[in-house]
Amino acid sequence: MSSLRDRLDQYKAAFESGAPPYHAPREAIETMHRATAELEASGLAQKALKVGDRAPEFSLFNQDHVEVSSGELLRQGPLVVDFFRGHW
Amino acid sequence: MELEALQEVHSEIRALGAQIVAITPELERYTRLVHGKSNLTFDILTDLHLKTAEQFGLIYVLPDYLRELYKGFGVTLDKFNDEPEYRLPMPARYIIDSGGIIRAANVNADYTIRPEPSETVRQLSELQKSK
Repeated sequence: MSSLRDRLDQYKAAFESGAPPYHAPREAIETMHRATAELEASGLAQKALKVGDRAPEFSLFNQDHVEVSSGELLRQGPLVVDFFRGHW
Repeated sequence: MELEALQEVHSEIRALGAQIVAITPELERYTRLVHGKSNLTFDILTDLHLKTAEQFGLIYVLPDYLRELYKGFGVTLDKFNDEPEYRLPMPARYIIDSGGIIRAANVNADYTIRPEPSETVRQLSELQKSK
């Protein structure tokens, strides 16, 4: 099984090549690089919660509209929480 | 891609006595779509208006020029997330212990970089050993 790193790198290379199926224009790729560089330079990622901090509690709806609470999950053991941007 | 990679280690994570949830600002019609398409066995939770991401300190606002580019690609975050402000969470993965304390944290300003799921499994297994 290839690592997630390899899979992401492969996708990125295909996207940034400008070839099909993505046909990403050069200017678009440069714009995306600029935005990432600005976000990195902002230092925001270093201000997020860190090891040793208390995790905020949450209670959110899942894909079947069932409410899921972190308190309920943590009663059963440790929890991996993965934040992602979206399906796009 | 990341969720599918996490799915591949879900049974290992369960065997360690832990669980996974994925959190996104997207509305439920999109989480339902992703969940079904990738055959996930863990939940995707909708963080409406990014309230939870905000508490974790993960929010950034998309610059205007990127907003326009994304709109051109059909990435209309106002519609996907009911979010006119075009705010997004930085990609992040946390391990929280049963006492509610963060034991591993990985936050990336570069969205093309994600932690390896195998590393998350290793960290969980260390955590369970140290109990």
